[in-house]
Amino acid sequence: MSDIKPQSDSILKKRLRKFKSMKRGYYSFILICTLYVLSFLNPILVNNQALIVSYEGNTFFPAVSSLFKPIFDTPNYEGKQFGQTEVFGKTLFGEPNYRELQKQFEKEGKGNWVLMPIYPYSPVENLLSEISSEPPTAPDSKHIFGTDNRGRDVFARLAYGFQISISFAILVTIFAYSIGISIGATLGYFGGKVDIFGQRIIEVFSGIPFLFMMMILVSFVKPSFLLLGAMLVFIGGWIGMTYFVRGEFYREKAKDYVSAAISIGTTDLNVMFKHILPNALTPVITFAPFAIVGYISSLVALDFLGFGLAPPTPSWGELISQGTQDIRYWWLIVSPLIAMFFTLITIIFIGEGIREAFDPKVYSRLR
Amino acid sequence: MSDNNILLKVRDLKVKFPIMGGIFQKKVAEVRAVDGVSFDVMKAETLGIVGESGCGKSTLGKALINVLRLTAPGVEISGEVLLEKDGSYIDLLKLNKKEMSIYRPDIQMIFQDPFSSLNPRMLVGEIIQEPLDINTKLSKAEKRDKVAWLLEKVGLSAEQSSRYPHEFSGGQRQRIGIARALATNPRLIIADEPVSALDVSIQAQVINLMMDLQEEFNLSFMFIAHDLSVVEHISSRIGVMYLGNLVEIGSSDNVNDSPKHPYTQSLLSAVPIPDPKSKENRKRIVLQGDVPSPLAKPSGCGFRTRCFIVKPECANGVPPLDEKAKNHFAACPYTE
Repeated sequence: MSDIKPQSDSILKKRLRKFKSMKRGYYSFILICTLYVLSFLNPILVNNQALIVSYEGNTFFPAVSSLFKPIFDTPNYEGKQFGQTEVFGKTLFGEPNYRELQKQFEKEGKGNWVLMPIYPYSPVENLLSEISSEPPTAPDSKHIFGTDNRGRDVFARLAYGFQISISFAILVTIFAYSIGISIGATLGYFGGKVDIFGQRIIEVFSGIPFLFMMMILVSFVKPSFLLLGAMLVFIGGWIGMTYFVRGEFYREKAKDYVSAAISIGTTDLNVMFKHILPNALTPVITFAPFAIVGYISSLVALDFLGFGLAPPTPSWGELISQGTQDIRYWWLIVSPLIAMFFTLITIIFIGEGIREAFDPKVYSRLR
Repeated sequence: MSDNNILLKVRDLKVKFPIMGGIFQKKVAEVRAVDGVSFDVMKAETLGIVGESGCGKSTLGKALINVLRLTAPGVEISGEVLLEKDGSYIDLLKLNKKEMSIYRPDIQMIFQDPFSSLNPRMLVGEIIQEPLDINTKLSKAEKRDKVAWLLEKVGLSAEQSSRYPHEFSGGQRQRIGIARALATNPRLIIADEPVSALDVSIQAQVINLMMDLQEEFNLSFMFIAHDLSVVEHISSRIGVMYLGNLVEIGSSDNVNDSPKHPYTQSLLSAVPIPDPKSKENRKRIVLQGDVPSPLAKPSGCGFRTRCFIVKPECANGVPPLDEKAKNHFAACPYTE
């Protein structure tokens, strides 16, 4: 007897292997995942707060400390703690300017030192007193994508905006799809009157004009990150997936394995979500990357029009809208557009790869 | 035919699928797939149901395990399906979902298409274990042992429980379906053309397996098929369906040797005989026309449009099942 265990692959495993074999989609996936994970380290990569301050023999970690501020009640640092009382000829109150502190320590030569993040600017920090001319300033060696019209560093805003855009799109997609799947599954599974009435209600919702509704709502409340996401989900975000899932459920429930599941006494909920849903996920997974692309664009568009996230949240759309006000500030248009183009096309490559891997003609036949 | 020997009594079972149309989705027509069928299933017997495609055999089976409402929400089922339980009979059609779940384990089904009857996303072990999860309170180890035991009973090995259905052949999959049906300790198994999707050599294996299991577990089978030779081999009694009605029912030998209903006679005359000499002696009855649409059934006897002994009175009412010989009924007043 040989000890070789027969390799048993689920359909999902086969599809994942196929996805991996598609280089463009797979490497795009790795790239975007790496960048997204890195973007969570933004506070220690792109920040105006020092990573480490060594002052008179004591060591401080301002960046890490403010990162955990919402969770642990970590202390605030003030300029006078490190002997910084004056910056650019003005008396300093509150937080130190660590870049100046670094220069100050070097000048003093007392063995104190400051370690700054790789890109030592914050997305919401006003650099008016540091930049050479009136903002916005063109890209230079310090500010690689220049500054915007309020004197904030464009690269820092792009980096933080990337994380916000992707998180926003993923969150909205997850919520919209959960609602869409649940409703589509209910309609498709129960059918009959539930289906007919449910579809009419969906038609009413799909008749709501998205942009107008958004404008009306935003005029009442300046939306936060979560509220804006919820608005996008409820004004229509959930609708698209209901059609696909409903159709999949209609097709799957006629198959004998569903009859078999019912005849052994499985509850409706279990039949829907344990038996049918795993077989109805193909459109969900295939459309998800494209939905994420769509929501990133939506956020940019809403920010561009001024109906998006409240300032001073770093946002790509807001930068573009600044750029359109004066075409001489080309870097305000070009840099966010390049960032957007790069992000969207990478996710579309992923989507293409997934669509290819999930092509029903290859693996999803039932044998 | 002693009364307490009956496991399932079906009385005047009707299944109608409404056809909706118009703006308000009103019923414009109905398909009477099963149109007043009555029969009994004895304990530990095999009742064969034969009939051509579209005569309502599969619908009858699915009506008995009560899964039709899912795929056809407006379906109307009337009549009585009485299941014997501890000496009394319970009408399954009158139960709600919760009450029905108590009796579901007693009637199980083996499906026609072994490729769609197993969930492609579940391991074989999970598929067979699920009835145990729902209907028993066994421990994990006991369930695993039961799954292995069931797999071995149907001629597979216990190691195969960690594989996916797509890694098995059609015959093996049908065995998995049988193991799943056995897992609830059923008393009646409805086999809906269980071998029609299989190779002939595999057909014999599966049928012999079913016969062995019947002996071992004292099961009743309702064997739905369109292949008369298969039904003849496995069944102790045979029922013949035509256009939603049961036209003849009797013991296997009686129906085969002396068919009473003209439809059964023509059906049997079409069965291939391997011996050319006896084939020459046989009178081949060729029916005229096609099966009428169940949407527009002829009045009276459903078979009268194709019958070779048709009389004008046939249009006047559905003929009842007459006892032509002992325990041999046929729904035609004009044959002996």
